[in-house]
Amino acid sequence: MHTGFIRQLLLACVLLLAFPSVLFAAAEPQEIRIAVVAMGAGGKQVFVGTPQLVSQDPVLKAELDKRHIKLTWVPVATSAVASEVNEDFASHNIDFAYYGDLPSVILNASGISTRLVAPGNLGSNVYLVVPPNSTAHSIQDLKGKRIALNRGRPWEVTFGKLLAANGLSFSDFKVVNLNPQAGASALAAGSVDAFFTLSDAYTLSDKGVGKIIWSTKQAPNDWKMRAELWGSQDFVSKYPDLTQLLVTADIRAVHWISQQQNRDAYLQDQARFGYPESVIRRDADNENVSWKDYWSPLYSPAIGSHYQAVVQHARSTGLIRNNVDVNNLILPQFVAAGVKDLGLGTYWN
Amino acid sequence: MSKSAVIGWHWPAITFNPRYTGWLASWISPLALLLAWVLVCRAQWFPEQILVSPQDVADSARDLWSSGDLQDALRVSLYRLALGFSLGSLLGIAAGALLAHSETARIYFSPTFNALRQVPTLALTPLFILIFGIGETLKIVIILKATFFPVAIATREGVRSIPRQYLEVGEAYCLSSWQQFRRIIFPATVPAVLTGIRIALGRSWMILVAVELLAADSGIGQIMEMGRQMLRIDQVMVGVFLTGLIGFSLDRSLRLLERWLLRWRHQG
Amino acid sequence: MSKQKIPLRVLKSLRGLLLPAVLLGLWEYTSHRDAAHAFAFAPLEQVYGALRELLAGGDLWVNLLGSLQRASTGLLTGAVAGIAIGLLMAFSRIALTLINPLYQGIRQVPLLGLTPLISLWLGNGEPSKLFIIALAAFYPMVLNTYEGLRQVDLRYREVGQAYGFGRVLLFRRVLLPAALPSLLTGLQQAVPFAWLAAIGGELIFNAGAGLGNLMMSAELGARMDVIVVCAISITLLGIGMSQLLSLASSRLLRWQHIR
Repeated sequence: MHTGFIRQLLLACVLLLAFPSVLFAAAEPQEIRIAVVAMGAGGKQVFVGTPQLVSQDPVLKAELDKRHIKLTWVPVATSAVASEVNEDFASHNIDFAYYGDLPSVILNASGISTRLVAPGNLGSNVYLVVPPNSTAHSIQDLKGKRIALNRGRPWEVTFGKLLAANGLSFSDFKVVNLNPQAGASALAAGSVDAFFTLSDAYTLSDKGVGKIIWSTKQAPNDWKMRAELWGSQDFVSKYPDLTQLLVTADIRAVHWISQQQNRDAYLQDQARFGYPESVIRRDADNENVSWKDYWSPLYSPAIGSHYQAVVQHARSTGLIRNNVDVNNLILPQFVAAGVKDLGLGTYWN
Repeated sequence: MSKSAVIGWHWPAITFNPRYTGWLASWISPLALLLAWVLVCRAQWFPEQILVSPQDVADSARDLWSSGDLQDALRVSLYRLALGFSLGSLLGIAAGALLAHSETARIYFSPTFNALRQVPTLALTPLFILIFGIGETLKIVIILKATFFPVAIATREGVRSIPRQYLEVGEAYCLSSWQQFRRIIFPATVPAVLTGIRIALGRSWMILVAVELLAADSGIGQIMEMGRQMLRIDQVMVGVFLTGLIGFSLDRSLRLLERWLLRWRHQG
Repeated sequence: MSKQKIPLRVLKSLRGLLLPAVLLGLWEYTSHRDAAHAFAFAPLEQVYGALRELLAGGDLWVNLLGSLQRASTGLLTGAVAGIAIGLLMAFSRIALTLINPLYQGIRQVPLLGLTPLISLWLGNGEPSKLFIIALAAFYPMVLNTYEGLRQVDLRYREVGQAYGFGRVLLFRRVLLPAALPSLLTGLQQAVPFAWLAAIGGELIFNAGAGLGNLMMSAELGARMDVIVVCAISITLLGIGMSQLLSLASSRLLRWQHIR
């Protein structure tokens, strides 16, 4: 009697747990999970830029609500974006991610397939910073010295291009693998002779502990590090319509940002992330493409060749062992359809 | 009496120094775990990126060994540990003895001592880098800090808890200061100090690897970090195993040393 | 006469603060030497300003409470698990033989080194952070529980058995009180570990409310003053928790001492 009751109770629990999964094992997922770089400012997740606009997009929200699908933003820490997003994709914890070029190549080389569904902007600038009293004026002067560079991050490829353009190679330097915060400290302490990083270079120069001697502003545009919207191949092939909804929302966001009158608002908003606004402005100013073109999500052959270079760099530095077919990586159809839907066919041409 | 047989209380006579049969038995669970790991990988319950197979880990270890990376990393890491640890222990013993012996020292130094002890070293890595750079000094200083406090505290407690009677016996025999130290104080404190050193060693090894993960150009921690960035979890596992193995061996060696010294003490 | 003694006593108790004051002075001096030093050592007035800023904005409280909450949850989980395993190992030879080797081996691996594995298996959010905190608290609790129970004086047990105590009663009346000092020692070790693991977890896993997260966003803007405020808060809270636990355990143990 005693055991009979327990048995029944157990059976009831099992059924209770199994039932919902039976119901939802059906057509569509309950949620779309997107990884995004976020800061926990005051206990709330803060992310800025395109993802933020997408998260507030009313059209997307309405469409998803219709299908009872939730859009979940999975935050990742700035200090380890590459590794965390890759690990999340590997463990199927996320379906999409806004992140960079090199880590996604590394991910695909390891056997996990993701697809580039919406290109991001033209790219972020990368800077070469030296201590203020350094006599180095270019990368040549730093030959044989210590350079702080965070390995596995996208701007490593830019570093490789800079070296190649100057006839140098990785072995000509003592590369120290430090995350951005440690790298900044090391530069300020004079413990490294140079630091290769993103716009936090301006902060260092403002505080008088660094001097920028080179940046991608004086280099070809495809030297900038790229970040895009990546989706797991499983999800994208199973639910192309949901992917399309997301990409169209992304294009809407990018269209809004790309309008000149919204530029200020966008830059001010970026400052919420933690970087001072002046740093963001200097990083965005004096580009040789217009603000509008900078944000074009249209697929172009330049993106393809950019990724070829990334794959080549990764292979030659031993970061990946297998080859990655770039043609498989890029899926331009979503952007094409989205642009057509929104009637933006001539906006970026 | 019969009750205890029924209840079956077994206070194991073996703990960390098992006899031979016990020693063999201690291999059961690690081997069982290894077996389970191999089987789960064979059955492919998880994708290989999440659960790397033992084979991959072994291959990775072999590659790292043959390329010389592993030896270099180990040499560097162990060198840092040795230097930082010995410095930290010596300073710690001196400080602990001072704090136990001198009331004045206690008054002036205790607050600072207690405060500095709780400073979160790893969280303040950027600050430490700013002060010490990213060279060997940084790692050695951090290991020194991790070693110093446990050893100092253990020494202080050890010296403080010498029973009054021992010292009175020494005075009764009119022993000189040096003789008092050698015959009474030293033997009485050795167990406590050794325990402190053993604990400190474990902690410093952990902190060293952690620092190498965050901010170093070489060492076993760096190998693990690169492995993570390349999504080569097998390489990370090599590091995990090695650090566990080395930490375990260090701990065991010190325990043996403890036992040997205490045996000497009993005979004396 | 007593009027003269008070200032002297006050002065005497302040002697301990002499060294910290000297260190602070040194810090202040260094921070004004040049730009690089000002970058590393935020001048004390800036630190004070940052403190006021954080208090006014409520940032400090939110993050402080976040860290505390996380640390407590993790600590509780880890401590309970640790006590359970320690009990198991003390009472069952089989459990001891099986669990001890695994415990000794895994204990030596730095928690930070397990980050990729935890990230892969548990994700990058709260569960991972809680797991690391629980693990940090788990290690010392297991050890001390086991040792505490093992070392219970044989005589006490025999007395209990002579009185005809059953298993449960023996445990409650004899073993538990005798092992309590060890348990409390374990807790005293577990608390600082758990606290540091909480901050560490916030630094390596994703964002949330916590002092570690506050430090990270300060690092982005190179706000060394905020970092110092965080460091001081972390240290003070750590000291506070240890002291609290110390008081609580001497309270608890006072009941045990019949001397």
